[in-house]
Amino acid sequence: MLLSGKNVIISGTNRGIGHAMLEAFSANGANVIAHARTRSDEFEATISSLQVTYGNSISAVYFDLTDYSAMKAFVKDLMVRKTAVDALVNNAGITHNALFQMTREEDLRRQFEVNFFSLFLFTQQISRLMTRRQTGSIINIASSAGLDGNPGKAVYGAAKAAVICMTKSIAAELGANHIRANAIAPGITETDMLSSMPERVVVEAKNAADLRRSGKPSEIADMAVFLASELSSYITGQVIRVDGGLR
Amino acid sequence: MLLRGKTAVVTGCLQGIGRATLDLFAAHGANVFACCQAPSEEFSIHCAELARTHGVQIMPLYFDLLDDAALKQAAVAIQKTGMPVDALVNVAGVNKDALFHMVTMEQLRLTFQINLFSQIVFTQYITRLMLRHKKGSVINIASITGIDGNPGQLAYAASKAALIAATKTMSAELGPQGIRVNAVAPGVIATAMTAAVPSGGLSRLLARSKIARMGEPVEVANVCLYLASDRTSFVTGQVIRVDGGIG
Repeated sequence: MLLSGKNVIISGTNRGIGHAMLEAFSANGANVIAHARTRSDEFEATISSLQVTYGNSISAVYFDLTDYSAMKAFVKDLMVRKTAVDALVNNAGITHNALFQMTREEDLRRQFEVNFFSLFLFTQQISRLMTRRQTGSIINIASSAGLDGNPGKAVYGAAKAAVICMTKSIAAELGANHIRANAIAPGITETDMLSSMPERVVVEAKNAADLRRSGKPSEIADMAVFLASELSSYITGQVIRVDGGLR
Repeated sequence: MLLRGKTAVVTGCLQGIGRATLDLFAAHGANVFACCQAPSEEFSIHCAELARTHGVQIMPLYFDLLDDAALKQAAVAIQKTGMPVDALVNVAGVNKDALFHMVTMEQLRLTFQINLFSQIVFTQYITRLMLRHKKGSVINIASITGIDGNPGQLAYAASKAALIAATKTMSAELGPQGIRVNAVAPGVIATAMTAAVPSGGLSRLLARSKIARMGEPVEVANVCLYLASDRTSFVTGQVIRVDGGIG
């Protein structure tokens, strides 16, 4: 129980890595504000069953992260309720695969809109709550593509690189307020995003990893738990690859 | 209890990061082969107390990393217990250093013998045991000086840089067999080794830290704990800075 009594906001918890995080954070005793873009009965049922299993509190919030007025309304509500936020996990994101010369302007703008601008603004607002309490941990889910650059990932990788750079700046600015900021760079992970990639690319990527396999969403989630916990109290401004040793 | 039922080998357990790692691993349910340079009554009493408090086996082993025969004997002693080794934490190291123009061949040889050659040889022995059950986690304590360099620490920094390269190579070779190899790069940690470094160099480093204080040994041990556990099952070949955001 690394996160007993801590309050954590996780974005994009409906599927994939975010869904695994919801489970891992619950198992570690955190109270979770679980963000998803849209409500579904299945998601609500998942939340209920997790709360029964782990005895924590999970509250679902639904809004589109690119809808700034909805985002602000959510944050305002947190302020009014004086909700303490110990950790923010920026997990929500969308993928994109296209060769550089085939990438459309609208996809370029959409990638940055969702994967960077909204993440930036959300973090800006939540970090103000953290600053008041002089404590907090911000965890951004980046990508190995944001470090290495990969074919077909010019836009996605660039947006994730922006997230990484922002993470380091946040760490530098907010360290004095006892707020840590780190990024996780997953490699090939078994999610819907993976199934959007060509099979040949996936096989090559698995073989490029020292462990010769793809990662499970829970393995990324476990790193987020670590970075949210006190076990990482002297780690900030880092990008931690959870990629099975890609080279 | 992240290491319940696991067996670990930790070197450099007499003080500082090694001692904190030993204590933490025991508290998390691990049996530990606790390695120290020279026999001491204080240490054997400490090991016995740890074992009693946490209900685990703590086996003190005494050998000097400069003594090849003793090193091999220690590995044989571990092998003869028949206990499967799940984790190896190479903490023991030396920091006897000088400015670039002042470094003697003797200092260089000694530093590399202890911080690199002996680490490699000992890890060879222990990972052979891990290969039998195709699972294991090796954690090498490097240093941020091995990434960044630091005035007055030429031999130490160069030996740690070499250790980092060795870590990545071991990960590439052993990853396909299920053994993970990572390095931890501490920054300025409150230990006896740090106290021996000229204070000018330290304050310059600390000024760059986002968390305006030295790290505690346990904050490095916490990272070793996570890397030794199954929660980092997809993390290998990495160097994790535990430096309060110096770099």
